[in-house]
Amino acid sequence: MFLAILAGFLLAFAAPLLHRWLGKWVLVPMALLPLSIFVYLLTLSPAVLGGDKLGELHAWAPSLNINLHFFLDGLSLLFALLITGFGTLIMLYAGGYLKGHPLLGRFYLYLTLFMTAMLGLVLAGNIISIFVFWELTSISSYLLIGFNQDKEKSRNSALQALLVTGLGGMALMGGLILLGMAGGSYTLSELLERGDVVRNHGLYLPALVLLLLGAFTKSAQFPFHFWLPNAMEAPTPVSAYLHSATMVKAGVYLLARLTPVMGGTDEWQYTLMMVGGITTVLGALLATQHVDLKAILAYTTISALGLLVTMTGIGTAPAMEAMVVFLLAHALYKGTLFLVAGNVDHATGTRDLTQLTGLSGSMRYTAVAALLAGMSMAGILPFFGFIGKELLYEASLQESPFRWMLFAVSFFSGMVFVAVAIALSYGVFWRRSTSPTPLQHPDKPLLYLPPVVLASAGLVFGLLPGFFVTPLLRRAAESMLGVEQVFELALWHGFTLALGLSVLTVLLGYVVYRYANRLLSYASRFNRLYLFGPANLYQLTLKGFLIGATKITATIQNGYLRSYIVAIVTAQISLVILALWDGGPRLELGNRLHELSQLRLYEVVLLLMVVSALIFLFKSQSRLTSIAIMGIVGYSAALLYILFGAPDVAATQLLIETLTVVIFVLILHKLPAFKYLSHASERYKYVLLSLTFGAVMTYVILIVKQYPLDSELKAYYGLNSYLLAHGRNIVNVILVDFRAFDTLGEIVVLAVAAIGIMAMLKLRMQKGDKP
Amino acid sequence: MKTIVLATAIRILIPLFIIFSVYTLFRGHNHPGGGFIGGLIGSIAFVFHTMTHGPQHTVDTFLKLNLYGYPRQPNQSRSLYLMRMMRVNVWRRRKMARHPDMKHHMVRIESVYIIATGLFLAVTSGVLGLLSGQPFMHAYWTDFYIPVLGKPGTPILFDLGVYLLVIGVVLKITFVMSEE
Repeated sequence: MFLAILAGFLLAFAAPLLHRWLGKWVLVPMALLPLSIFVYLLTLSPAVLGGDKLGELHAWAPSLNINLHFFLDGLSLLFALLITGFGTLIMLYAGGYLKGHPLLGRFYLYLTLFMTAMLGLVLAGNIISIFVFWELTSISSYLLIGFNQDKEKSRNSALQALLVTGLGGMALMGGLILLGMAGGSYTLSELLERGDVVRNHGLYLPALVLLLLGAFTKSAQFPFHFWLPNAMEAPTPVSAYLHSATMVKAGVYLLARLTPVMGGTDEWQYTLMMVGGITTVLGALLATQHVDLKAILAYTTISALGLLVTMTGIGTAPAMEAMVVFLLAHALYKGTLFLVAGNVDHATGTRDLTQLTGLSGSMRYTAVAALLAGMSMAGILPFFGFIGKELLYEASLQESPFRWMLFAVSFFSGMVFVAVAIALSYGVFWRRSTSPTPLQHPDKPLLYLPPVVLASAGLVFGLLPGFFVTPLLRRAAESMLGVEQVFELALWHGFTLALGLSVLTVLLGYVVYRYANRLLSYASRFNRLYLFGPANLYQLTLKGFLIGATKITATIQNGYLRSYIVAIVTAQISLVILALWDGGPRLELGNRLHELSQLRLYEVVLLLMVVSALIFLFKSQSRLTSIAIMGIVGYSAALLYILFGAPDVAATQLLIETLTVVIFVLILHKLPAFKYLSHASERYKYVLLSLTFGAVMTYVILIVKQYPLDSELKAYYGLNSYLLAHGRNIVNVILVDFRAFDTLGEIVVLAVAAIGIMAMLKLRMQKGDKP
Repeated sequence: MKTIVLATAIRILIPLFIIFSVYTLFRGHNHPGGGFIGGLIGSIAFVFHTMTHGPQHTVDTFLKLNLYGYPRQPNQSRSLYLMRMMRVNVWRRRKMARHPDMKHHMVRIESVYIIATGLFLAVTSGVLGLLSGQPFMHAYWTDFYIPVLGKPGTPILFDLGVYLLVIGVVLKITFVMSEE
């Protein structure tokens, strides 16, 4: 498994190079990778279907309990197969969709990077590595949405998706760490067995809130749903792959994965059911308000994600069963429909539902795929979507205080799904029309084969549910429930209530389709409501954030060196006083006064020199004098160091003083004339501040000297600097050997400072220039 | 600021400064001194030179390399060509300067290059330990002893990196401040 991930990353970064070498044939290696991983996973599947849980451990940062741990059970396998199987088709499709695009190599880089990250996410067995891969998917999604970088809308949407999912990712990190603390482990397989410990832990609630935030932003749940429709700016292969079949399901995956650990409590159940329910209804409602094919699909995806979350929230065995079945069915038909929409867009140049008619004649295969997928979406009998819908109804109709509400939610969304399915497959392709939309180019095999394959998978799974799908889904449901599942999927359940409801859904859905135009005409009336929607809130927050940042920067970074120093010094004084105010050590000078008699003459002379120099500095009328006086102070300090036996420090101080004076002299003639512009009181204010600072520091040092220095460090360095480090100068040995890493950091800072000075003084940018 | 006394003195003093700075660098392990102090001493020499002669002159005098060379013949082997170029530039400079076929290139040593070299040396001394499975910054010492310079080891390499970096940084700051 590790090799698969590694190969993915390697191939991803080789993609631009391969594109240069192979031209349009770059799609062959790019599609072979997911295909081979798919086959590899299939070879592992007998073991997993037999009930095994495969693990693979690679040490990463063992001291922090973070390991690259892979973990394959039913749920992971379901997702991994979906990611790689669908990935293979998408790679082929992208080759056709972006044929001749100069940046095809880069596109494959991002797409493969995403695929690998997503694969890592579902295979990860350590919650920290889950987070790492989670963030990688967010970043690659950002790159993919912004692929058409020359369009401003595309860039904004990408940033929006990144901000929303990135903030969610941060919350997720907090949640995962809290979860790790509560469960006492970062390893998934251990956490899965400690569900009771976690649920009764005091950190459960904060962890839950943060985790849900992460999952909801990723899976576009209300009120974070707004980024998903905007993400449709991405090229269609991306929309199909990331924003309908895989990435947006990462949140659902996380919820499903953590159900045995965190699920089952009231908070979990009610939050998921409520948020999921609202999202379902909202997504379905908004889907009827649009005419853009991709927007409609995006909103129905949001609705479907809401249903998945709701089902996870219910948490009973039938609900979980319904969730996994619907997840697979949705990925198959929604992916197909996205590909079909991209295909139509590519061939006709428009995605407007009202302009597209009668395409079945000119795009025969695409039309077939659309028909198959549409029937699966609508839940017509022999398709896999039908089984999913039946199970959804059964699950929501179970005994529970909310059964009617849950049923209404799934019924409403089902109705809209039917209407959308009819509009997309029948309305665009098969409805008779005297003037079919003209094509710009004929249907291409690379563009119609993937959707046809996907859609037929929906049909095959529906006809033969027992073949491979049932055992896989059983194991997937088992991962969430912790108990082995024995359900059987069958097309025909007899004349049950669910069947009747299915028929009713289709009929009502058809009615919605017939009156869709009237629904659309109401669309403009909602505009005012959108002003209060989360999308607008996001814009306002973003704008406010920028304005606030500008204001704060203007206040704090005002460019006057003196105000920075005043801020630093004041902060330090207040912190020290705060620390000494209450319960701090008190200064006792009484029995130390006799130490004054030990004062040497030259120490007094130095002190007098510094003090008189400072007084003189205050009165000085020229810059040169001031610099020279500062030099005197510095040299006196160096002399003090020599007197107290620190030659290294003294030498450094002397040299630095010299250099400071010389460099000051170098730039002296460029400075404006030396004048006192401020009022004298202004100066006394600074003098007062300096005196306070000096007094506080003196006080602190006197207190420090009050206690005997009892440290083993001195003895340690004294003993070891010659024996271990072959040097007799302890200061230097500490600098270059014992604590060389600190020195390295310091010299890096020095180098960066030099570059910064150069940038500040040398590079005068013209306004509007790019840096 | 051109004063004849300082200008003449500094020309004689610079080699002394540099020798003394290198001496300080190497004695640092056992006596007061070290890369930082050595670097400061070395850079002060150049700073004074800049102060008296101007930055352009300092660069021309100390930080420019004349490289001699001729284009490689089509059938000449690359390694042979490289070795010949090295010989031309190292051992036979005087003679080659007057050769008619020779073209010479001026290479200006930017102070940023010195900074980069210093950082590179410092990091290398740390990575050496890492490569042989020890922790980062693990120190290696040789068994022999060189008079004046002391015992060679990776901390000395690190100190040399600090020395070069400090010189580079001070030179950069001085040039930036005094040019314009």
